[in-house]
Amino acid sequence: MLRRVTRVVLAAAAAVTLTFLLTGSPPAATAAGPYVPVNGAGSTWSENAIRQWASNVQQYGMRIDYAGTGSTDGRNQFASGLVDFGVSEIPYGKDDNAAAEAKPKFKYAYMPIVAGGTAFMYNLSIGKNRVTNLRLSGDTLVKIFTNVITKWNDPAIKADNPGLALPARKIVPVVRSDGSGTTAQFSTWMANQYPSLWNAYCARAGRKTPCGVTSIYPTIAGTATTAQSSSTGVAAYVAQDASVGAITYVEYSYALNLHFPVAKIRNKADYYIEPTAPSVAVALLKAKINNVQGSQDYLTQDLRGVYTNADKRTYPLSSYSYMLIPVDEENDRFKVAKGKTLGDFAYYFLCEGQQQADSLGYSPLPKNLVEAGIAQVKRIPGVDVKAINLSGCHNPTFSSDGSNTLAKNAPQPRACDKVGPVQCTTGTGGAKSETPTSNGGNKNNNNTNHSSGGTGNSANPASTAGTGTPTAGSTAGAVIDPDTGQVVGGTGGGGADSVSAIPVSLSNQLDPTLKLVLIIVACALLLGLTVGPPLIARLLHGGGRR
Amino acid sequence: MTSAPLETVAAPERRRRLRPSGGQDLVFRVVLRCAGAAVLLLMVLVGTFLFTKAISALRLAGWSFLTTEEWEPDSGHFGIAAVLTGTILIAGVAISIAVPLATGMALYVSEYAPQRLRRILINMIDLMAAVPSVVYGLWGFAFLQAHVIGLARWLSTYFAWFPLFKVTGSDPRDPLATETIYTSSTFIAGMVVALMVAPVICSIMREAFSQAPIGEREGAYALGATRWGMVRSVVLPFGKGGMIGGTMLGLGRALGETIAVYLIISPVFVIQPHILQNGANSVSALIALRYGESGPVALSALMAAGVALFILTLIVNFAAGSIVARSRSGAESEA
Repeated sequence: MLRRVTRVVLAAAAAVTLTFLLTGSPPAATAAGPYVPVNGAGSTWSENAIRQWASNVQQYGMRIDYAGTGSTDGRNQFASGLVDFGVSEIPYGKDDNAAAEAKPKFKYAYMPIVAGGTAFMYNLSIGKNRVTNLRLSGDTLVKIFTNVITKWNDPAIKADNPGLALPARKIVPVVRSDGSGTTAQFSTWMANQYPSLWNAYCARAGRKTPCGVTSIYPTIAGTATTAQSSSTGVAAYVAQDASVGAITYVEYSYALNLHFPVAKIRNKADYYIEPTAPSVAVALLKAKINNVQGSQDYLTQDLRGVYTNADKRTYPLSSYSYMLIPVDEENDRFKVAKGKTLGDFAYYFLCEGQQQADSLGYSPLPKNLVEAGIAQVKRIPGVDVKAINLSGCHNPTFSSDGSNTLAKNAPQPRACDKVGPVQCTTGTGGAKSETPTSNGGNKNNNNTNHSSGGTGNSANPASTAGTGTPTAGSTAGAVIDPDTGQVVGGTGGGGADSVSAIPVSLSNQLDPTLKLVLIIVACALLLGLTVGPPLIARLLHGGGRR
Repeated sequence: MTSAPLETVAAPERRRRLRPSGGQDLVFRVVLRCAGAAVLLLMVLVGTFLFTKAISALRLAGWSFLTTEEWEPDSGHFGIAAVLTGTILIAGVAISIAVPLATGMALYVSEYAPQRLRRILINMIDLMAAVPSVVYGLWGFAFLQAHVIGLARWLSTYFAWFPLFKVTGSDPRDPLATETIYTSSTFIAGMVVALMVAPVICSIMREAFSQAPIGEREGAYALGATRWGMVRSVVLPFGKGGMIGGTMLGLGRALGETIAVYLIISPVFVIQPHILQNGANSVSALIALRYGESGPVALSALMAAGVALFILTLIVNFAAGSIVARSRSGAESEA
């Protein structure tokens, strides 16, 4: 008996020492920093980054609970003291609900956390091929989301995509049903760049005009527009097989995660650009940051310069995301004990965390904002102030001379991304497969009037620009339907790798009267088979008795 | 048969109660009365709270609160015409799917299933009731929706003459027509809610069916009834009250179902009678959607919508109560 007890004790002791030997540092780390869990809520735009960072810092014993409930909800919860920090795309009082919005009664500040592009993820295919290289100009995009353009084969979309013969499918714009910072960023851009289209839509939807920035996207019943909640919701909706023809606005990372393409958006330099980390960094060089230290809106962004940034590498719908943090004093919810956790978390994502931004689908913060952010962290009550050596952060935007390396070294867009008859075939977002184009795309870089061996291009440049006149290089006789962009009549075949015919699976259509007759016959048969046997049996039985 | 010995046992007990009841009895009775009163008090408190919060919005909107379809509380334009209709439609779809399903389940479990299978089935049904609604919602959104589109298209193609099944803007002849028109609809939300309320309805029906008196069952068999004949002539008439009560309880739950509906529907603020078509709404989903982002006026408006739902649910439950009380099986099960 005694021996057995000693054996058990020995085994337990061995196990304990073994765990200590194996894990070693974690107990020491927790001993050094007794972290109190903190929780936050808000933006789904930056949720993917925050979740990754929160899981990264778990190894240090920090617990960050984050709920992606939308920027509007994040601001409200932060204001009413339900969460320790909020995350929002826009500051308090910037959208159409400003008058009714509750602001925190305690001292708070904005801290930039990450940059990124509001991307337009879509689900579209020509025949069986998924389209991955869609290009859209600003006004086309706004017209799509305001139900002015309702079909994918609209001439305006065709003009943006001369290499694609898009089908006559209905466009399904998928918007956010909850209060969203992504909606706010998108509507800020629309209200600023295309006010007449946006206001006309708002008026049709029964909103007050001028409509301006809104967090809740107005929808008109009876249109194809579908509203879903949260970024995950809209992205998952678009990614469904049944949602061919749908397009939505989400942060770039969602498209990466779901392996779906995003639309390249035309910038002021007439290039169609994808919201990659470098193109967002370039665009945000023109963002005006509020530098008035005493101001409540210190560090908030003014993106008007970004929308009109003339650099040809610009993605125009780029923006920064912000964390709302309590500063200077404790409030009812945020006590000094939490300051250490939130502060260390902030130090982590402002410094090391930024390295991951690119691979997550975001863009790292530039040096000036990281420095300003670190200065804001100092104001969190209870923070364990650290001196951060910025060179140790390995942030891809940092350089010794103060310029933004990521933006400086951003690759120049390819010639096929310029407005014109040639369209790149390479995929975008999370969809890397190529999409064949009728004009050869980047495979033949001599971009005009290319005709191979006299066969000609099936969709020639001039007609796609809307003029409808065949150009010199194309084969005579290939008439192009202005609506579908397909060759009608004529024998002008496609180029080497270009396919102009769109295979469409059709079910056999029956003559309506025949169909009706067949339905009636089928119903009669079914009825006869189910009701018939017992009836007949009863009749026979009854007859026999009589 | 069983009641005769019970009465003989009860007779001396009744005589004993003539003595003034002792301390234990008194305490027990007081505790029970308090518990009963607490339920009533809670309901009254919930109602009063909702009403006091809602009163400012109700005053702002006036009677138009019942007739306005839009929901723009910050501009003073809001009403529950659309959301309340949507709620009733979703609950209606749910009930019309859940009741036949639950009746079948309950009859099989109580009358047909072999003893061993019965226990497993009862456990499974209880498990179904215990699955959180967000799981149903996610399943409905990510899995069911894609598979229901075909059925929805078929219904709308051949039964469009029935006004509820009409889908505006659908063209079954167009091979490129988007299928999203059949998603996020009242129908799909209703189907998911049906799966959530079916176990509740089923349990109540099963209870009612299993209480059908053994003597009458044996009597039916003795008169030469088949099993189905016995079920039809004894079990179903006896369980009618339980069936109606279960249905009403399910309806009450379906009216209030939130998160599954929230995940599936695409909210629209017009009366949308086409249940197969994209776009639906419900009061509880609206509250879940807008609660976090509302200013004081909007919050009060949401409370007013909550009051409407509260009253509707109360009416349904009272109606259910009175029907159950009037029927035979209900009286038995209440006792």
